[in-house]
Amino acid sequence: MIKLTEYIAAIGGENHTPALDPDEILISGAYVSDMLSDVMGSAKPEQVWITIMKHLNVIAVASMTGIPAIIFAKGHAPDAAVCDKALEESICLISSKYETFELAGILYKLLGK
Amino acid sequence: MSPSALCARLKELDTQWFAITDHNSMANCPAYAAVARKAGLYFSWGVEIQTVEEIHLLAYFDDPRGAQAFDQELYQSLLPIENDPDFFGDQVIIDENENILRVESRALINSSIWDITTAVQQVLAFGGLAVPAHIDAEVNSIISQLGFLPPSPDFEILGITARLNLPEYLQQHPELADKAFLRASDAHYLSDLKQGSCTMRVQEATVQEILWAARKLDGRYINNDT
Repeated sequence: MIKLTEYIAAIGGENHTPALDPDEILISGAYVSDMLSDVMGSAKPEQVWITIMKHLNVIAVASMTGIPAIIFAKGHAPDAAVCDKALEESICLISSKYETFELAGILYKLLGK
Repeated sequence: MSPSALCARLKELDTQWFAITDHNSMANCPAYAAVARKAGLYFSWGVEIQTVEEIHLLAYFDDPRGAQAFDQELYQSLLPIENDPDFFGDQVIIDENENILRVESRALINSSIWDITTAVQQVLAFGGLAVPAHIDAEVNSIISQLGFLPPSPDFEILGITARLNLPEYLQQHPELADKAFLRASDAHYLSDLKQGSCTMRVQEATVQEILWAARKLDGRYINNDT
């Protein structure tokens, strides 16, 4: 387990939900998918979700599955409505310029896997 | 499916009204409209838009001018990637006599840069009806891509696949109980045509009437029984 803060630093992440403290979020892995029906069935709590999907439904899916943070790859940034909903649901939203493969790889290394 | 072969097959099947919904283009609608008219079939302009979320969204139009104006906007929203005919075939645009007018070089298989909300806004702006395609499909359906039907945009009509057992599906998805459904063949070949149609009671074969049938206005209805 690592703190989300460490991961954000490693990927040069931008926090779109600064009201949430990433130091308090512990993560043990990631789920990578852009298909929300797949994420709903397979993602687990304590995993971050790496995706390029920015539709508002991502927040509901994260909330349902217990995902504490969503990492948007390739510099994708969620719009204001998505950020507002994320705050309501206490889900941290991070953007990084890295691609999905790199984002997953960096976390894999950080976790010492 | 050439326009004449399609119309002949539809007459055999006693289908009176059809639309074609090619991927991201309505360029072939004029040819099909002309052949349908001669065959005595009703035809509606349609297209299957692939949104940035890779949702397939059907759009139907009554006014060909509105449809063509929409088609131009849609074309501009497609990524400027060349089609690879070895994989996806030649994207031919034909006339009613099946002469090739031109070959579309931009890859129509790709997504538009529009998200689902923008795509629906565009369809409505040009007088069309937006219907999420094959919502029960495992890929490229609004539910496969977004997990569940988002509260907005609100869809009155949802597309379903040829073989779906709708009553069973509704038991699994009680949240869709108040929706209207439109069963389509999604036929890519003549042999796909036998299944996947619905019966509508309407006053005329227009897209506007489909919406009214969905609302069960004045005795109109859509019957999706197989």
